[in-house]
Amino acid sequence: MSQLFLIAYNNLLQHRKRTFLLGGAIAGVTALLVFLLCLSSGVHSTMFESATTLMTGHINVAGFYKVTSGQSAPLVTDYKKVLEVVRKTLPDIDFVTSRGRGWAKLVSETSSVQSAIGGIDIKTEPEFLKVIHANTGKVEDLAEPNTILIFESQAKKLNVKVGDSIVLSVLTPRGTNNTVDVRVVAVAQDMGILSSFNVFIPEAALEQLHQLNSDSTGAIQLHLKDLKRIPQDMADLRKALTAAGYAVMEQESRPFWEKIDAAKREDWTGQKIDLTTWEDELTFIRWAVTAVDGLTYILTMVLLIIISVGIMNSMWIAIRERTREIGTLRAIGMQRTRVLALFMTEAFTLGILGTAAGAVIGMIFAILMNAAHIKVPEGANVFLMSSHLHFSFEALRILGGMFVITACSTLISIIPSIHAARMKPITAMQHIG
Amino acid sequence: MKALLLLTLLTVNAFAIAEPLTKDKMVDILKEIDKRVKSPGDYKALVYLEEKEKDKADVVRELVVYRRDVDEKLTLLFTKPKSDAGQGYLRVDKNLWFYDPAVGKWERRTERERIAGTDSRREDFDQSHLATDYDPTFVGEEKLGNFNVWVMKLKVKANVDVAYPIVKMWVDKSNGTQLKRQDFALSEKLMRTVYNPKWEKLYSESKKGDLWFPKEIRIYDEIEKGNSTMVVIKSVDLHPLPENMFTKAWLESKSR
Repeated sequence: MSQLFLIAYNNLLQHRKRTFLLGGAIAGVTALLVFLLCLSSGVHSTMFESATTLMTGHINVAGFYKVTSGQSAPLVTDYKKVLEVVRKTLPDIDFVTSRGRGWAKLVSETSSVQSAIGGIDIKTEPEFLKVIHANTGKVEDLAEPNTILIFESQAKKLNVKVGDSIVLSVLTPRGTNNTVDVRVVAVAQDMGILSSFNVFIPEAALEQLHQLNSDSTGAIQLHLKDLKRIPQDMADLRKALTAAGYAVMEQESRPFWEKIDAAKREDWTGQKIDLTTWEDELTFIRWAVTAVDGLTYILTMVLLIIISVGIMNSMWIAIRERTREIGTLRAIGMQRTRVLALFMTEAFTLGILGTAAGAVIGMIFAILMNAAHIKVPEGANVFLMSSHLHFSFEALRILGGMFVITACSTLISIIPSIHAARMKPITAMQHIG
Repeated sequence: MKALLLLTLLTVNAFAIAEPLTKDKMVDILKEIDKRVKSPGDYKALVYLEEKEKDKADVVRELVVYRRDVDEKLTLLFTKPKSDAGQGYLRVDKNLWFYDPAVGKWERRTERERIAGTDSRREDFDQSHLATDYDPTFVGEEKLGNFNVWVMKLKVKANVDVAYPIVKMWVDKSNGTQLKRQDFALSEKLMRTVYNPKWEKLYSESKKGDLWFPKEIRIYDEIEKGNSTMVVIKSVDLHPLPENMFTKAWLESKSR
């Protein structure tokens, strides 16, 4: 076997120009694939990080409360009792937060935007302080009453800065108009599309706005130690909450605000619990990740087809050039399978060297792009989930990509290799060319 | 007889020296406002709805309002522009339903919903329940343009759901019509100011008296300054409407 590799290696060295061109093409495609895979992984990780900071736990115990059948509010009433059931069912949760939920119109002196509002007790959420970075102001000041944290894109739209006032206008769960004047205490760095429609105010301000008591919250967000347990934990929670007498809604992969209107249409009153995972809450942006992944695979497929045709052609040329050599090898006793293996090893060696070089180039490029902290144009952050280009490295995905390209370049050489193996020694040795 | 007494009260008050209105008198004034706009028979009105939003082009919609006050029924059917034609609201009991023919679905909305996203509410097109929903307190008398007016502050009664829990109202002393109102949020922040500069009346056979309607309603958004809505009632028809008018099927049939 090592002999085959040695021959293949020497052949590749002998035809430097062709090896360089073909290996370069394989490296180029691999570099592009690795670069796109790192981008896709970056989008995944950014989405997960921003989502689990801004709007969802790994599992959410949320729900809707309907005063009348025509109204619905994203509320869990008497949530401490629900939390007791949750803690009994899942004793090994990493940490739990309760967040108020709502939807409001933010009105400044010059403009207005619609946004989801999160009611937060900043003193109980140290993770939030680690992830949210204030451009101006201090996130910790959210502990003061009637304050608000907004993101830089919202500050730009509303034309406000730290210290300015904003009016939040909402309909209470009973359908009555209410407002609260809040002071901007922090303008945080954008965290992709999610930060464009999320703001945070103290939980007490949200309760005042919605006329709720402190026994109500929007969602109990559970952060788990092991994400693989999500399906099992969801099933256990559903069982436990149902057994405790709560009406639990069917699991539906939609964010809570998309369910408000659907809940309004339903003919019931009172409390229903809605159990969702972080992925359920993000269905509205999952298409963006799918689009990035789809683009990666389509582009790679097209390039792979092109280089496969290149590899095949180059193998035909190599076989033609080495026909007499094949004849001699066959005449001195080399078996047909050995000839087949010889050419396939050559293609495999070229593939493995090309993909390795390409993966290194792709990763270096991704590292450089990360270091450059490149800001993406507005609009592109819908796809990229971040205001800056962010790449992350997932070894399995990168190795998977390398494997596919190497396998393709090896398999495509089967046809010319079979042709070479089938040559009669006498004919091959007489070949002129 | 009560109406005659109230009219006398209004006339006397128009010339009298400023004197606070008693609660009973204020309730009577509110009842009279409610009574004037209430139609015991059916009601149909052609309405223009003009929406002005800051930094956006004005949007004018045409709609037809159908009311059957005795049953608390209301239908709003949009006829123009083409993009909105066929959309409509239907009030059944305490529920307000919205129908969009583009998606062919009904959505249950709160009764206190903005109509077509403008500053107008369902109450602006419907009969009035001021006396039953609010408790009045007297603020004073003042001049509103050329009109001598009473100013009252209304607070919503317990367990009554309204869009605006606090209302300040300017009532013409000479004829008891509402000329201006300001709607406040629970936080007591001023949300919108509404002017009713022109009132018209039409003889109603079923009422055996006049039915009043505001020819024009000008609504100014006080939160988003620069946004406003104008409601113009072009014509009113008090002839009986078909029985099936206040049904989902009827509203759906209008866009087929």
